[in-house]
Amino acid sequence: MGKYKIEVISESCTGCMLCQLACSELYTGTFSLEKARIKVLISEKECTISFSDECNNCGVCADYCLYGALIKMPGEVEK
Amino acid sequence: MSSGFAGTILRVDLTNSRIERLPLDMSLAEKFGGGLGLSIRLAYERIKPGADALSPENPVVFGAGPLVGTSLPATSRIYTVTKLPAGGAIGWCGGGGMSFGCLFKHAGFDHLIIEGRAEQPVFLKIVDDAVEICDARSLWGKGIDDTSEELWKKFGRPGGIVAIGPSGENRCSFAMAFVDRFSTLGRGGFGAVMGSKNLKAVFVQGTRGITVADRKHYRTVSKKLFSTIREYPYLKEWQDLGLIKSLPAIPHETYRDIRKRRIACASCPIGDKDIIEISDGELAGFTTCSSSAVNLLTPLMYGFPDYREAIKLTAMLDDLGMDMFEFFGVMEFLKNLVEKGILDEDAIDAPVDIKSLSSMEAWARIISRREGLGNILAGGLPAMMEEFGAESEQYAPSVVRGMLPYVSPKGPLPWNLFGTMELGQLLDPRGPHVGAGGSPTYFARRPLEVFPRHLIRMGVPEEAIVRILPKQGNGEKGEALKVGRLLRYSHAWFTILGSLGVCARAQVNRFYNAELCAELYQTVTGIETSLDDLRRRADRAWTLLKMANIREGFSKEDDTPPDKWFQGPGFHNYITEEPVGPKEIMAMIEDYYDEEGWDSDTGIPGRERLKALDLADLA
Repeated sequence: MGKYKIEVISESCTGCMLCQLACSELYTGTFSLEKARIKVLISEKECTISFSDECNNCGVCADYCLYGALIKMPGEVEK
Repeated sequence: MSSGFAGTILRVDLTNSRIERLPLDMSLAEKFGGGLGLSIRLAYERIKPGADALSPENPVVFGAGPLVGTSLPATSRIYTVTKLPAGGAIGWCGGGGMSFGCLFKHAGFDHLIIEGRAEQPVFLKIVDDAVEICDARSLWGKGIDDTSEELWKKFGRPGGIVAIGPSGENRCSFAMAFVDRFSTLGRGGFGAVMGSKNLKAVFVQGTRGITVADRKHYRTVSKKLFSTIREYPYLKEWQDLGLIKSLPAIPHETYRDIRKRRIACASCPIGDKDIIEISDGELAGFTTCSSSAVNLLTPLMYGFPDYREAIKLTAMLDDLGMDMFEFFGVMEFLKNLVEKGILDEDAIDAPVDIKSLSSMEAWARIISRREGLGNILAGGLPAMMEEFGAESEQYAPSVVRGMLPYVSPKGPLPWNLFGTMELGQLLDPRGPHVGAGGSPTYFARRPLEVFPRHLIRMGVPEEAIVRILPKQGNGEKGEALKVGRLLRYSHAWFTILGSLGVCARAQVNRFYNAELCAELYQTVTGIETSLDDLRRRADRAWTLLKMANIREGFSKEDDTPPDKWFQGPGFHNYITEEPVGPKEIMAMIEDYYDEEGWDSDTGIPGRERLKALDLADLA
């Protein structure tokens, strides 16, 4: 599985949680927001997107992002 | 844990503060699909015939289908089934939401059954297996916004919330509940049912998660589905504009100016919820959120002169937990009563000016608190007619099953072509709602040539297409489109989507077709499922909903169109654009019954049909 730099544009995030659902299923076989290695917290006021230490920058989250909030870019891993 | 299904029904008896976990009967789940279908079945056996909608004897059944909580697109939908106070019908209420359905499933539950009535205000807190009935006295009286914010502040995000506002607490017959602040549940008074139980909110957090039966095939099908979505040429436009694209209540540039962020229900590719901030004028800086900016702008259709004031009013109605269409129906009736001298404006609580923000805000407050005349108005149009006598009825808007059919030539959504959504306002057992009536007639003047591919997508059996489109067959003469026959399959398609947990909005379920739904159902649950199986389960559930309402005393008479539809400008035939009269509509209703396999004269499902649907033991 490739390693990518994941560019985060939180202004574009809609809170659909597809990134978390895809990540958790890939690594645990279970759809669970809690078990995902990416965390999205969105409210009427703000949106924060963070990655856990377990994240290996595989980019599955960006593959599932339909809003351009996560962009998978080949290159050095930056966390 | 079963695949797709979480495997447990949570049952809460508020009268006795009893919490029970029941194993999901998988044979029943399979028979009714899950989600909406199974909620109908669970409600059917628990609703005591004749019970008052606002009594402890009226249970509420929540359901989230087997696809909810997965990464399949737009699978966030939750349904509730209960008896609704506006018309006394047993009906569905459905909504998306940012996370409620997803987290409810991840907590380990498919359904929630709420029974009885708490002694004092409570909220239900579900965190995985830990379920508590909590004191809600400090939340009682608060709006949806403050209630949701307080729960998030106390327990953290993500957290799913279904909450009511003061109008639900005070049992206004057009009170709704809100899901995660954004989506609505329940034209017809679902909010009042929660209020009658002293249930302010349900809060849920779930970490256990959900699995699918066939991971390998899931990935293949899911990948294909997401490719289709990415390649959809209008995806970016829908994501940019949402429902403003099809209902441009304000110019696109104005919308972009006030849109602070687009919000999506869990797994939705369109993201048609909005956070709005007014950028200029006296209301500059006012912020709110909605299931769509179009909803916030509804008062413009009633003559509000300024879109900013329209947004402010709808935000207030939402916060109070009140259905805006019914609110305006009540206000129009009140205005007419004052104008005709039946009511003396000087003797009522506030001036009535439908185009004025201050007047409408005052009445929203009065109704939600049941102050003065608000105590009558909170009962909706039927309560007003009863209070002001037979003479007043001529000044009321049209009423179907105690509610305003809001899509009509004279309604706030001024559709004048008579398609399935319009007819569906009469034939959905829950009362007037267009949500279940989707079909190609959703768009005006769509050429008939494109209908067959849409019908196949909706799962219409091939042999039925010629009955819906008689001229597509052997050059048979007569009507080119049988709206009644088509509506029967709109309801089936709606039930299929609802039972799986897929959104009912056409803008997003366009990526699904009935064959794919069968494939996904099998892939996720592991239950062998053909398209025929899926259709049969949907027919079974919808027919049981009909039977539940027949048991309550509803009949063909309740399905007939209101006389007011034929006074002044009326509906027109979808194809010929000729005026549609009561005779034509009655013929469509009988076509609908016939296509359902129910008695075409009475609308009652006969013994043979019940037997064929394996319902004979129930009804």
